[in-house]
Parts: sequence; structure tokens; C-alpha cells
Amino acid sequence: MMLQTGEMPPGREIEIAGIRTRYHDAGAGETLVFIYGGNFGSADSASSAYVWNLNLAPLASRFRVVAFDKLGQGYTDIPARDEDYTMDAVVKHAAAFIAALDLPPVHLIGHSRGGYAATRLALEQPRLVRSLTIINSGTLTPGVGTNDVVLQRPPFPSLTRDGARWVYRQYSFDPEIVTDDWMEVSFDIMSQPRYREAVRKMVDEQLGVTRFAPALRRDKRETLAWIAEGRLQRPTQVVWGADDKTALVERGVELFDLIAAHERRSSFHAINQSGHFVYREHPERFNALVTRFVDAVCAEEAGA
Amino acid sequence: MTLVERDLTVAGVATRLLAGGDAQRPPVLFLHGGVPGASPFCGGAHLWGDVLERFAGDRHVLALDLPGSGGSALPDAAAPLFDRIATHVPAVIQALALGPCHLVGHDLGGLVALACALDAPALLASVTVVASAWAAPVGDGVENPVLAHPPQPLWSRASQAWALERLSYAHHHVDVSLLDACVAAAAGAPHRAAVAAMADGGFERRFAPNAGRTRGRVFAACREEGVVTPVQLVWGRQDPLTTPAHGLTLFKAIAARQREAQFDVINRAGSLVFREQPIAFHAAVAAFQDGLVGKV
Repeated sequence: MMLQTGEMPPGREIEIAGIRTRYHDAGAGETLVFIYGGNFGSADSASSAYVWNLNLAPLASRFRVVAFDKLGQGYTDIPARDEDYTMDAVVKHAAAFIAALDLPPVHLIGHSRGGYAATRLALEQPRLVRSLTIINSGTLTPGVGTNDVVLQRPPFPSLTRDGARWVYRQYSFDPEIVTDDWMEVSFDIMSQPRYREAVRKMVDEQLGVTRFAPALRRDKRETLAWIAEGRLQRPTQVVWGADDKTALVERGVELFDLIAAHERRSSFHAINQSGHFVYREHPERFNALVTRFVDAVCAEEAGA
Repeated sequence: MTLVERDLTVAGVATRLLAGGDAQRPPVLFLHGGVPGASPFCGGAHLWGDVLERFAGDRHVLALDLPGSGGSALPDAAAPLFDRIATHVPAVIQALALGPCHLVGHDLGGLVALACALDAPALLASVTVVASAWAAPVGDGVENPVLAHPPQPLWSRASQAWALERLSYAHHHVDVSLLDACVAAAAGAPHRAAVAAMADGGFERRFAPNAGRTRGRVFAACREEGVVTPVQLVWGRQDPLTTPAHGLTLFKAIAARQREAQFDVINRAGSLVFREQPIAFHAAVAAFQDGLVGKV
């Protein structure tokens, strides 16, 4: 099946430990698994697999591409228990999803919070991972993040198109890349009763501040310590939109230095005139980086 | 090696290059590093090594001996030494009808490539600057002692091996074939002419100031009209001559007015990134060029 550029592969569903999980799967060859950013119960914007719509079709001509909705995001079920409103549960769900689809060791591509999740997954379950691409992940970098400075107090109500548009425009170098089709999907997700239930849990019941954030801080400390110990043992490229105000390019260099201390097969790539969503601001450039990186990883492992 | 040596005369100057790959594919012209007659190793197309074969897989590959290096003569002209080298590059592109081509320049070759982007942008599809202390800003830089005390005699096999190792993350890439080629280059007439030109203050008076002025022209262009050619910078993370911080600073200067700018750092590589990590180097440069398709 040939996809048009921008077209999403048809959505499918699989149950992962009781969680109905939406995913998109197309193409053949080395398997790329995409993990987007954000987290459940965000009242200002809602991420989903659609964020990769400029990448999946072009990359599906060379690879098998799999983009799924994370636990509690997109069109996947929200956590069944309060205890699962954690990044750890998101990582476990992602790993179980990859295992359940019986994918061969995959090339993980994680953005922002998804960059953290992908890295943590590679640390916890290395047998599932062949390579790692980390994109503008303030969540993973050891340095000072600025997202709460840039995104504070949106001038629009929560759970609205205008609010989401404002957030994504703040994230971008060129605000014009925040397209109506993208915002329509974001709004559709925010309109779902189950998504609103997650917002109620995270905001009204304060699971965000009492559970999610402290657990993430604790896990992040452990994750960075593991990387510093050299436990991340897969080829890794760090890709950074150089004009991201929420995760400055210096944060990317610091993260790369941490990884490169132990992993020879690591590289850093900064792309100009790009904010947080480098794969949407420069899809051709990003897709080329992924293609050449995956080819190089495979060629080297084949002894070429 | 599927690459073949070609000797031609361009603008009256004997010129040697390595050529390979499919002439129907996008041309990539490689400009090696080292200052002819001054650096303690002999530059030339031979420095690139096997990475050229990787590019030849889907590119038309040409690797030039810059004037005064390898098999290319140093023009006997009144112009400053740096200009005699730099102005030869657009002449070669025109003579071979390669334009628009991708330029990949290492060290001094990186500054030559940027000079070409200022003077002849219509001939270029992109510029990749690799580990170039000549191109990056330094301010009031700290003296770098890495190549301060080369063993004598200069340009002997042992002395060149010493210099190439000093520029590297690890010495393993400094192999027999590299040293054979470096020794052969040292015996050539272009190298001896360059040594004579650089001697007795030639480097300080007739080369370095002009190279510095060219770097200044690049920075002024970054601030004013911009470098109009897409620019990629590739740095080795452990480069003893120019650090990734230098590369990032140059990137920010160029990126201010050039949308298609990219900065790449390759791990476990010194100055000769393309020799120490050929797979990662090829992936990064090829991805940059691929990503520009339709934009140049």
C-alpha cells in the first residue's frame, strides 16, 4: 500500500494488559517505532501519533514504521489505576506493546517526553532495541529546562483549539507550521470523555503533582545515573531543533556528551530554524537523518 | 579502490584529482585539509581514505589536490598564497562542468569551501565544513600546542605519522597506505614549491593574513547578506584543534541568515572525522545532502 505524503496509515487496535492501544503500522523492512511527547491529562494540548504524519509515509517506502498512542494519550485507553499515572507505566506499556506486536529489535525514535521514554525503554529492555534516536528531549537532558517559562499561563482556556494552537506555536520556530489538520486531531482527542477523565485525575485530583512529577524526577535521576554508568548500549543519535526555546540546543549537546562518553556509535545533529518539532518543521531533513542513520547502523552490524 | 587519479590542466595549473562513482549522480567535490608547505603533514586527496568509496555508492565523487598539495601545482602568481589556492576551486568546478555541486572541505579546505560560497554561490548546491579551525571563530584564542614540536626531519614518514596521530582521537587510522601516500606527496614538486613559498615568513606574511581576511569576510556575510549556500558543519567530539563549542559558535553565526544550516558532532573522532568514523561521517553528510533535495 502506497501512502501519500502526510497520510496516516490506517489505525489499528491491540489490547496491552487490558489497555486498548491504537497504533499505525505500514511498510516493510527494518522496524522504526515512534514515541511522541507530552503526557496524559495535559489540559493545554494533546499529542498523538498524528504528530508523525509528515514522516510515516516517506519512511514507509524504506522501512516498517509503527506509531502508537501512548498510555493515556491519543486514542489509547487511560490508566486503569491511579498508581499508573506515572512515566514508568508509560514506559512499561510501550515496551509491552513492542513485545506484543512481536517486532524484531526496533529502531526507537522518541521526541520530548517520548525521548525520555524511548531511552528508559532501551535501558530497561535492551533486547527490544537496535538503535535510538532522541529528539529535543528536555525531559531527558540533565540541564535546565525552560518549557515552564515558555508555556506558562496560555492566554486561552484549557481544552480548546486556540489553547492548543498557542502552545504549539510557542514551541515552534515558524508558527505557521502549526496546521489546522494537526490542531483538529489535538482537539478531537481533548474532546473525548476518557481524555477529560485523565485531565480530571491529573489536574483536579492532583495526580500530576502528587504522583507523576515526583516519580518522574526520581526516575530521571536514576536514568541519568544509568547513562553515566554506560548502561545505554545502543547506537544513538541526538537530533535537535536548534531554535527550541523550551529545550535549548546546549541542552542537546550536554545530553549527547553524557551518552557519547560510553557509546562510540553516537552523534549529534542540530537543524537550524526549527523549534521543538524538528520532524514537522524540516520533515525532509529529519527523514534523511533517520534513513541514513538506520542504514549505517545496519551496515556496520552486517560488517560493511 | 574504484576511484581513479585524473590529471588535467585548469586555468593553466597542473591539477590532480581522484574521481569515482556515477557521473550521472549528484557531484560532491572534496577539499582536503592542511596548509601546503606549512602543516607538518602533507595534504591531498589521499587524506580522505576509504570514505570516498562510501560516497561513490550514490554520488559522483571528486577529491581535489589543492594547489601546492599532492599532484597539483602551486600557481606562480602575485596573488596572496591563500587566494591562489582558494580561487582554483571554482575554476575546477567550471572546467569540469560540475556545478551546482556539493563541496565538502576539511580544515583549511572548509574555509576554502566557504570562500567559494561567497564568491561563486551559483556553482554550489551545499557546503560541508569539517573540523575547520581555519573557519571557526576563536576570539583571542589560546595558543594550541598540539602540533608545536614535530619530530625532525619535517615531512618524513615518522614526522607525518606523529602529526596525524596528534590530530586524532586514536592512532589506528594512521595506516600504511595513508603514510605511503603522505610520503609520496612530500616528495612531489608541488609540496616542495609550497615549502619554499611558506619559508622565511611566507606563511605569516603571505598566507595567514589573507586566510584570516577570508574568515572575516565569512563572518561579515553571516551578519549582513548571509551565506547563501546551505551549510553543514561536522565536528569531531574530541578534536584537539577545534572543539564542538567552536563548531556550535560558527553554526550560530551562519544559521542567523541561512535557513538550511546544520551542525553535526561525531563521537570518538578528532580532526580527521571522516577517517576515524567513516560510517557515521558518511551518514551525516549524505543525510544533509539528501534532505536538501528540492530546495537547491
